[in-house]
Amino acid sequence: MSEPIGTAARYVGQRVLRKEDLRLLTGRGSFIDDIAVPGMLYAAFVRSEIARGKILSMDLSQSRALKGVYAVLSAEDLDPFNVVLSNMHLSFAEVPTRPLSSGDVRYVGDPLAIVIAESRYIAEDAAALAVIEYEPEDPLITIADGMSDRLVHPGTKSNLAQEIQSPPNDQIDGIFESAAHVVRATFKHQRVAQCTMEARGVVSTPNGEGELQVHIGCQSTHVFAAAIGLAFNMPHTKIRVLAKDVGGGFGLKAQPWREEMAAIGASLLLKRPVKWVEDRLEALTTSNACREQEMTIGMAFDADAKLLALDCDYHSNNGAFPHMPDAGMPIMMFMTGPYRPMSFRFRGRAWYTNTIGLGGYRAPWAMEAFTREALFDKAARQIGIDPVEIRRRNLLTAGELPATTPLGIPLLDITPIEVLDKLLEKVDVAAFRAEQAAARKQGRYLGLGIASYIEPTAMTGMMMLNSDVAEIRIDPTGKVTANMSTHSQGHGIETTHAQIIADTLGVPIEDVSIFQEDSTRVGIGPGAAGSRQAVIAGGAAIRASKLLAEKIKAIAAHALNANPDDITIEDGEVRIAGVEEMTRTVKDIAQLAYGEPHRLPPGMEMGLEAKSRYAPPTFATHATASHACIVEVDADTGIVEILRWVSSEDCGIQINPAIVEGQIAGGLAQAIGSVLLEEFSFDDRANPTAVTFKDYLLPAISDVPVFEYTHISTPSQTEGGFRGVGEGGIIIGVPTLVNAVADAMAPFGELPPDLPLTPTKLLKMMMENEPA
Amino acid sequence: MSEHEITVTVNGQRRQAKVEARTTLGDFLRSQLGYTGLHLACEHGVCGACTLIVDGRAVRSCLMFAVQVDGSDVRTVEGVAEADGTLSPVQQAMRECHALQCGFCTPGVVMTLTSLTEGDQKPDADTLVKAMSGHLCRCTGYQGIRKAINQLTGVPVAEAGEHA
Amino acid sequence: MKPAPFDYVAPTSVEEALEQLDRSGTDATILAGGQTLMPLLALRMSTPSVIVDINRIDALKGIARTGEGMRIAPVTRQNEALASEPLAAALPTVTRAIGHVGHFQTRNRGTVGGSIALGEPAAELPATAVALGAEIEVHSLRRGERRIAAEHLYVGPYATTVEPDELVTAIHFPQWPADSIVIFREVARRPGDFALVGLVGAIAISDGAVAQAGFAWFGMGPTPMKAWQAESALFGEKLSDIDPRAIAELALDETDPFDDHSATADYRRTVGRRIFTRTLSEALDLRKAA
Repeated sequence: MSEPIGTAARYVGQRVLRKEDLRLLTGRGSFIDDIAVPGMLYAAFVRSEIARGKILSMDLSQSRALKGVYAVLSAEDLDPFNVVLSNMHLSFAEVPTRPLSSGDVRYVGDPLAIVIAESRYIAEDAAALAVIEYEPEDPLITIADGMSDRLVHPGTKSNLAQEIQSPPNDQIDGIFESAAHVVRATFKHQRVAQCTMEARGVVSTPNGEGELQVHIGCQSTHVFAAAIGLAFNMPHTKIRVLAKDVGGGFGLKAQPWREEMAAIGASLLLKRPVKWVEDRLEALTTSNACREQEMTIGMAFDADAKLLALDCDYHSNNGAFPHMPDAGMPIMMFMTGPYRPMSFRFRGRAWYTNTIGLGGYRAPWAMEAFTREALFDKAARQIGIDPVEIRRRNLLTAGELPATTPLGIPLLDITPIEVLDKLLEKVDVAAFRAEQAAARKQGRYLGLGIASYIEPTAMTGMMMLNSDVAEIRIDPTGKVTANMSTHSQGHGIETTHAQIIADTLGVPIEDVSIFQEDSTRVGIGPGAAGSRQAVIAGGAAIRASKLLAEKIKAIAAHALNANPDDITIEDGEVRIAGVEEMTRTVKDIAQLAYGEPHRLPPGMEMGLEAKSRYAPPTFATHATASHACIVEVDADTGIVEILRWVSSEDCGIQINPAIVEGQIAGGLAQAIGSVLLEEFSFDDRANPTAVTFKDYLLPAISDVPVFEYTHISTPSQTEGGFRGVGEGGIIIGVPTLVNAVADAMAPFGELPPDLPLTPTKLLKMMMENEPA
Repeated sequence: MSEHEITVTVNGQRRQAKVEARTTLGDFLRSQLGYTGLHLACEHGVCGACTLIVDGRAVRSCLMFAVQVDGSDVRTVEGVAEADGTLSPVQQAMRECHALQCGFCTPGVVMTLTSLTEGDQKPDADTLVKAMSGHLCRCTGYQGIRKAINQLTGVPVAEAGEHA
Repeated sequence: MKPAPFDYVAPTSVEEALEQLDRSGTDATILAGGQTLMPLLALRMSTPSVIVDINRIDALKGIARTGEGMRIAPVTRQNEALASEPLAAALPTVTRAIGHVGHFQTRNRGTVGGSIALGEPAAELPATAVALGAEIEVHSLRRGERRIAAEHLYVGPYATTVEPDELVTAIHFPQWPADSIVIFREVARRPGDFALVGLVGAIAISDGAVAQAGFAWFGMGPTPMKAWQAESALFGEKLSDIDPRAIAELALDETDPFDDHSATADYRRTVGRRIFTRTLSEALDLRKAA
């Protein structure tokens, strides 16, 4: 196990101000719509107005004739490219997904043609002139609809996009039958939209035969180059993908999808640069959305409220063209959480429907924590013990580690009891219960929610996710440049990478420049996915920096006739212990390394360049947390007010606490949105009904409380001791808040766990039941 | 469709341009004048990312046409920092308080807070928080923005958390 | 989301504007603050051939006292009206209502007249005009001036009795006594959202009894809903005799809420009953204590 940085560090562990902010605060960021290329044309789409049916005819002649329109391309025009989309793992879907549809449509907004014009304004004018005749059919909209025999995709055996099951378990039914306590519930999570503030976008510039430059909103320039290469049968080494600033990813931008590929195809066909910028109407209706899931889970307990068995039946609505089918594989893998192993069974099914396809979202497996933690609370109420106590009896203790989950995943250094204890130092549960009881007498309904979880960050085991590389060089000016295989859409890793490198090398952070926006600059990495970059690329950065530091010391030792062990690098200065007058700068050594090869140790290569590709030693590097929140449900209106929220996290060595807290807070805000506000809904013809931000409610400042944080820090086994923290907030945020509302509503009965918990639902519950 | 000649002062510079009637102020500033710091995130006046200052008032540039600012004074985020690059008090507070992540909503936030704090205005924190109800941020949960507001209005900024 | 093409004119006088409206009729749309119109244009839900921008007509700006009460010219920005001390002194209910309209940024551009002329059923200002008995003054080239009582202005969601060739030139609020009780309560998910249900009004007192009451709901029907029965029932009542619950029932009778994306009709009725009772009784308690 490597030594975690942190003890003598100058930057790691500090709330270092972000390097990104100087350009972002002054309006000098470089987002997709900021890119302008000479000769650039603009795209808009002709889209299906119905959710399902045949296209009897499509007349694009008026669109083509409009002044300022360069071309209008249909699926036929892109046929020569034979584009089939792949996902972030570079594998293909069961049902080939193409940029444009033809012949029939499978969701409202299904793209049928791409208009290329002199401006987006004109492109939209032209799109509106398309004349399409449909033969509509009744669409399949819900999960229940998906289970019907009518196929979304002709040629498939059923609408099952995927089905998974845990290994056979012939004990579990018996355990449920004889258990002292059994609790069950069906949890429903509504469809939500990722709502990155910058929607999708691409500027595709063909540069001569077989060379393509693509600016695109992405979570990894490398994955995108590979995916575009696969799609257009071009070596991805001929494709340069660029993305300097991306306004949020959250899983939406893990791979290029239909519209982006249509725009790229158009640019290749027309040999002109083409820009497509998704507008908000498109982002809310025709951008792969997420989370429409149902899960029935059962827990069986013994008389001491020890969890004996967990049985899960999961369904998800995959829409027509999901990025990846989702029958709950990661949910199944992580469902048992930080708890003592129990008898376990999981069945998951993914259903096609005539709706926009399923896309990734922060923590695609978040349903595991939502359902498990909410059912624990229900069990606590049913059995008659405190929700904290039921967790204490079941969470793995330090003495029981390492442990293995029922599915064989090792749990090495999680700290669920410790983070729970730390949480309870800040939240006086007994005092709250007294306050709650007094409030209930006055007809006011306060609630406390607690949840525990572990997050498997920085997962390895899949090629694309395994590793990251850092290529670091110090040039003759003594400045440090690091090319990283990572990508940021707001994560702040430009800063955290620099902190690590500056500390490990011993140079001022101002002298470190980080680049990660160009697929051609450095080797592959999967970018932002699975809370991994700070951990894995952080490890690579440490190792590459150490190689460079050693080289600097070796050169200095040789040139100055000193012992390398006596040499330190601090603040950009190379110092020899006890011999102050021999101090050199890093620049001096760099000048030597590049300019005076005869003064280098014999056999040493010139220059100061090092590279390291790093993969963590374990399948997962777990982060652990417990959260608590206190709410009041307004007895008049059913509106939920969050009064307090405390996060107790163990994410190992924190590179930058401000960035750690930012990631947690962002996830928590999204959780609040999922639980109380957001809903991507359809009418009975599968038309999306929340088409603007007036109807699709994102959390505003008044919805999000000031979060309190407390941390413990158990260094992980990775280089640097870090643990990922990108997705945790949304995973634990949902059950924490659901539990608080359920606790507040307990006098009225068991809250149906059917998100979002709208004022209408809560008021109805209060009116239909007498408070106990 | 009508076209119009306009003269508008942008960040202190007088600019003349020809605009189509339907070109929004946001698109005009971004595409015709190159002020790409102004971001369009919804184009229907809810998210606030496109906020700028017109004739001294913070307004949404997606809800105005370019032709409407003929004769007006317009300020975008590019005009907020000093000429030598020194960040304004609002920008500095936002940087120090980690009030941004992806940066897409940020220019609008800067302009709203600037419009309410510059000159001899002395707003209280509550006024600024209320004004922030006109901005949507998907990344930060508004934590850093609240801290920046406290810093700008003299409310003590508590240390957010401990770490062992 | 780019608007469809149109011709744009920006008259600098009311006469010019009226001539344009006379020429274009239903092909023209008036642009005031734009906070509601612009999104409709962006979504192409509105595709006028001509947009008549009235923001450059000085005669359409300002707030003034008149013999009858207060005259608010339509292109007065909501934030200007909010900051107006004479308005706050004369009609505190109006000031209170404006504070809830949209957001700080939208109020910098949005106008009092624009909101009132639009007739959004869940908006504060149309209901305020109805509650307080305002009159909307309109002009057309052919028929000159006429006044429309607010309670006759709204005929459906976003539908008013203003003719296509007419321009709103003033909103006249009658004077309510200085010590009138202000009634305002809005239930919304967040500040600036469409109200789920809202209530606005005023109660004028004389010798410890109600001299006049005006109430209107917003978000409780296709238009602002005037609570006639509640108003009549309060007339002449001594403050100490008022039963807020009973008045609330009468007020609720005048509503016609519907289900939509934000809330159900049942929700609106239940919450409406509660907020009317609570707001009225809190306002009366405050007055009795004074």
